[in-house]
Amino acid sequence: MSDLLEALLYRPNFIAFVILFLWGFYIMVIHPNLVKKLIGLYIVQTSVILFLVAFSAKTGATVPIVPAEATVVEASNFTNPLPHVLTLTAIVVQVATLGVSLALVLAIYRKYGSLDEDEVRKKI
Amino acid sequence: MIANFPILLFLVPFVSAVSLPMLGARYPWICRPLALGAVSVSIAVAVANLVTVSHLGAIRYAFGGWAAPLGIEWVDDGLAAVVILTVGVVTWISLVFGGSGPPEARGRVIPYYTLILLLVSGLTGLVFAADLFNVFVFLEVAALTGYALVGASGGRALLSAFRYLVLGSFGASLYLLGVSYLYVATGTLNMADLAQRLPELMSSTAVVSGLIFVFLGLAIKMALVPLHGWLPDAYAHASESVSPILASTVTKVALVAWVRIFYSVVGPGIDVGHVPVLVLLDELGVAAALIGGTLALRQTELKRMFAYGGISHIGLILLGVSLGNATGFAGGVFYLLNDAVMQAALFILAGAAVRHYGARTLQDLSAIQGRAPWMTAGLMIAAVSMIGLPPTGGFFGKWNIILGALQAENYLGVFAVVASTLLTLAYFVKIFASFLGDRPAVDSRGLEIPLSLKVSLAAASAAMIGLGIWSDPIVSFLFEAALLKGL
Repeated sequence: MSDLLEALLYRPNFIAFVILFLWGFYIMVIHPNLVKKLIGLYIVQTSVILFLVAFSAKTGATVPIVPAEATVVEASNFTNPLPHVLTLTAIVVQVATLGVSLALVLAIYRKYGSLDEDEVRKKI
Repeated sequence: MIANFPILLFLVPFVSAVSLPMLGARYPWICRPLALGAVSVSIAVAVANLVTVSHLGAIRYAFGGWAAPLGIEWVDDGLAAVVILTVGVVTWISLVFGGSGPPEARGRVIPYYTLILLLVSGLTGLVFAADLFNVFVFLEVAALTGYALVGASGGRALLSAFRYLVLGSFGASLYLLGVSYLYVATGTLNMADLAQRLPELMSSTAVVSGLIFVFLGLAIKMALVPLHGWLPDAYAHASESVSPILASTVTKVALVAWVRIFYSVVGPGIDVGHVPVLVLLDELGVAAALIGGTLALRQTELKRMFAYGGISHIGLILLGVSLGNATGFAGGVFYLLNDAVMQAALFILAGAAVRHYGARTLQDLSAIQGRAPWMTAGLMIAAVSMIGLPPTGGFFGKWNIILGALQAENYLGVFAVVASTLLTLAYFVKIFASFLGDRPAVDSRGLEIPLSLKVSLAAASAAMIGLGIWSDPIVSFLFEAALLKGL
């Protein structure tokens, strides 16, 4: 148990990711307000992105551009660019989702005059 | 040319989708011919692709000329080729009916066709992708168009679309999380590359939980019981132009993505704590088939009944493909093709009942009686195929799943197929009982059945019977070309 705790305390960013993920999920499930549900969803998505960024972090490494005159490339001197590319793509997907979902929320508000899921259901 | 078939199948709907708003704003009449033309070209390319794949074997398309482990790769094998052809055909059938809406919906013609074409290009990418992250991107492209299409119907559909979006995006986040776990453990995203590195890592909790997250994410997308909550509302409230295409493609293609990931990344032989994973998947399929069928029996609204029928069929397909032998797998994939066509036909019928006769629930159905010979015939053929009687494809799919289950000595699976057949029979008896019930006073609304409905019903019925008549060559093709590694 103490080993596990120690291992966790060395990785505060992973603890932050888990807390954010569960927190966002909790907001999504608990709040009847549609915009708050979206905020919860956004936190969940962002926590996954935080995880992607967290595991790709490396101390003492630089941008992955190899100078032309280099003959030997030491991998530990460069950060891995792939997780960052994944992050960028995931952010784009997230933005598109947010756009569609806000449009839906706006349409619901115009039609039913409320953002509360229970109230909207009563009116349906 | 031949090596470019996969990207051509993606570019045809995609380029049309992008150019349609620009052309449509100037020449409004062009939308429908352009969309139908693009889908027809896709079908032609898909047929050529199927012939090529069956003769020359799988095509591997490397984007930008970068070979597989470094670059992004699409795999166009037998499974992808048949699924993509089916997607094309059901899109064509749904578009012929769906685009012929009432005049008041004309203002939304451009977004409608654009979204449908984008949906098709997303599904194409999802079928071909051999890279876990690529699957995520196309999953989201297809899903986003799905949310927009459901929400565009307005009214009750808005809230259903919102719930679909929240659940679907949560599923996508779980999938992305699973993929990043797998990436952390292996350092690669390419499926073939993962398959080489994973076997020695199967004891790692990161890999196992990554796979579980990937499965959970895709299970939400494929509406596997008990994660099916979004589907009945979304498909029942969506407009009748939209639900046929969504119901017949989105969940099935997500299932295809899972099948590809499972067989080409982990392989069928793995255990989790001495329980074979295939048995777990089997039992999830059994539960989905039985629960979906039972819930369908309880519905009074036609579209909801068909939506639950689709949920139960996802269970049957998952059962078939996870039996772990070639017969069950071919049966499952063959049933998937049938199910796509059947769902399109059923939702077209339900949509036409609403559009032309105002019949939404089972009680209203008797209004159609004696006035719509085309719809009656279409419903009969769809019912025969859904129940699974010999002249239609539904029978041969179920038959092969049962044979596979017997071969795997999985008697629970045999029971599930038979029981879900009986449940299907029961809810179609309910439909026909109200269909043939006492006819109310005739109102004069919509006695003319438009040509587009006749064409799409005829095409769907012909496809269902054709799949039955040519089931033998199709199933033997699936045996030869569509089996994945480990079968």
